[in-house]
Amino acid sequence: MDFRLGPKADEVRREIRTWLAANFSEEDRRRAHEDGGGHDWDLYRKLAAEGWVSAGWPVEMGGGGRDPYEILTLYWELCKAGFPWIGLLNNGFIGHTLMAMGTDHHREHFVPRIASGEIAFALGYSEPGSGSDVASCRTMATRDGDDWRINGQKMWTTTGHTAQYIFMLTRTATLDRPHKGLTVFLVPTDAEGVDVQPVHTMGGERSNAVYLSNVPVSDSARVGEVDKGWSVVRFALGLEQAMGYADLQERFLEDARRWALAEQADGGLPFDDPRVREQLGQTAIHTEVARLLRHRSTWLSAESRPLGGKGAMTKSFSGSSYLEDAQAWTQLVGSAGLLAEGEDGAVAGGAFEEAFRQTPVNTIYGGTVEILRSLVAEVELQLPKSR
Amino acid sequence: MDLSLDESQQILVDTFAELLEQECPVSLVRECEKTGFSEALWSQYREMGANVMGLPESVDGLGMGLLELGLVAQRSGRVLAPVPFVETAVAGRLLAAIAPGDPLVARIAAGEAIVSLALPRPHAVTGTGSGRTGRALVPFGAVADAVVGIDAEGLFVAEDAGKRRGPRLRDAGSGALAWWSLQRGEGAAPRALATGDEARRAMARASAEWKLLTGFWLVGLAQRALEIGADYARERIQFGVPIGGFQAIAHPLAECAIRVDGAELLAQEAAWAEAEEPDRFEGLCSMAFAWAAQTALRTADVSLHTHGGYGFSEEYDIQLYYRRAAAVPGVAGGAREELQRVAELCLAPERAALGGA
Repeated sequence: MDFRLGPKADEVRREIRTWLAANFSEEDRRRAHEDGGGHDWDLYRKLAAEGWVSAGWPVEMGGGGRDPYEILTLYWELCKAGFPWIGLLNNGFIGHTLMAMGTDHHREHFVPRIASGEIAFALGYSEPGSGSDVASCRTMATRDGDDWRINGQKMWTTTGHTAQYIFMLTRTATLDRPHKGLTVFLVPTDAEGVDVQPVHTMGGERSNAVYLSNVPVSDSARVGEVDKGWSVVRFALGLEQAMGYADLQERFLEDARRWALAEQADGGLPFDDPRVREQLGQTAIHTEVARLLRHRSTWLSAESRPLGGKGAMTKSFSGSSYLEDAQAWTQLVGSAGLLAEGEDGAVAGGAFEEAFRQTPVNTIYGGTVEILRSLVAEVELQLPKSR
Repeated sequence: MDLSLDESQQILVDTFAELLEQECPVSLVRECEKTGFSEALWSQYREMGANVMGLPESVDGLGMGLLELGLVAQRSGRVLAPVPFVETAVAGRLLAAIAPGDPLVARIAAGEAIVSLALPRPHAVTGTGSGRTGRALVPFGAVADAVVGIDAEGLFVAEDAGKRRGPRLRDAGSGALAWWSLQRGEGAAPRALATGDEARRAMARASAEWKLLTGFWLVGLAQRALEIGADYARERIQFGVPIGGFQAIAHPLAECAIRVDGAELLAQEAAWAEAEEPDRFEGLCSMAFAWAAQTALRTADVSLHTHGGYGFSEEYDIQLYYRRAAAVPGVAGGAREELQRVAELCLAPERAALGGA
């Protein structure tokens, strides 16, 4: 066995840390944090200029040909540093998906512009009435000559206000057979009839609701066959669920450790309290297990082995253990632990307070923990379908 | 990165799986409930060379690494094998490293002695432990011929089992648990093995190895407990359908499946770290043990409750797993105590008292 990611990943870690030190200042971090939109064009284009946006794509597609361990390390370091990386992540998924399932037009017209940092995509799956049951989508695409018109509403379209396109799931046939009448389009956000409205969250993230009224979309913007969009979305979702938040858990653990080992006003160390040590030990284990599960998902994909329910395991464990730790620390540290970053007397620089507000979403977006557990039960334990 | 077993490791796993399927049916575990030990099965283990696997080749051992030992422990845990494989492997490695000429090493190699350890750290809540009271609860103590311990004077091995060894105790299911009197004034004088930092380092190392291999054992227990629960959930019909189709049954089992996979990876990583990341080794052993203990109990609990009332009856096997899931790690202080050790070893090693494992 070998638990190392390998020398190429180590080199990426060095490179990206050097790049962050030179290009991502504390002021940038604070601005990204306050903005909460998950994407910053200036920073993003600097990353793209270094080839990082397309780093994981094949060389023949103009990508960097980096292996899954290198890409894992890239995302890990950016995320841990507080870099606004959601745009990068989405574009990585969409680039992969377009290369695997798109047309020559997509590969020529969109893929190189994603790689260069010219354009970005937001994900448009969820709707007001369609969350975990993604296939119940009601946003309609109807024929308009050779092209299409889209009507409906999308929810949780994070980066929809900064991206030029939305990778959008629509319905092209009746709801009788929910999985069979779906089609994916690349919808320009500047098209007539697209209205993007902000949705603010308690975690400080800004997402969006997108209203679509009679939006004209060219047939060349269709990804995959008409009514066969479900397989396209499944492909893109699969890429997302194998990740989890071990990088953020690692940062959270480092914050907690730093606080516990720093002398307090009365000269004592929080670490000397057995309750603090016990919680630190639990958080350290959760972080290590989340990291190992993510490394296993990465190894399986690097080896082209079947992922089964193991991608779902990765996200489910990471999301729920991080949430559990954030709540446990909040209950442990008392009133000063409620203070936000920058406030007088904030415990651990506000890390516990921030995690408390941010972690509830981790068991929800990109596949809720309930959906993921059903998948694990069916695929890994061969239990009957439970919904 | 390579998370697969190599060919010889896989052969080792298959060999023990086959042996244990034949020689350790659950009926044997039930027959041994009162003694916690099967002489017949231990003799099968010795025939397979299990008593010398961990010993270096220089003392007629097989020189296997901790991952190989862990894989055997994991298979043993799956079937709740009532044999002191883990204790003998760890004590043998400790003695061979620090006192290769000690007669006990040759006796372990010859399959003539069972040696266990008195894990050193007094329990913070109950005070149990050799350090404070001069007697210790020793895993497989009721059948051990010798016990390795540590006190203020150093590392020692106590024999004279007739005088020092208490009777097998009735407990939740830990194995042949018994008190050993480790007072120097009683019985034949213990043999000193090492003093000072050397003694503390050796004992810290042995404790880490015991926790790691016990962690593997508990991973095996949890994997089997999960199978038992999932099998039952697929077969048991209520309201006209298999109960595994209800999310209230399926989701807790799925959550256990996730945690068990994590426990297996963590134990494997710790074993790998012995040679490859030695600075993290003891901390990872502590993590692997604590997480395996938490996961084994949770999994056995979920599986037991999947059975409804039958899970509580002696007739069903899951209660055997449930009791051992708490009892086996309890011997070393239990999961909550261990979390503090994780914090010390992994996050503030400079503050972790040497040998205070």
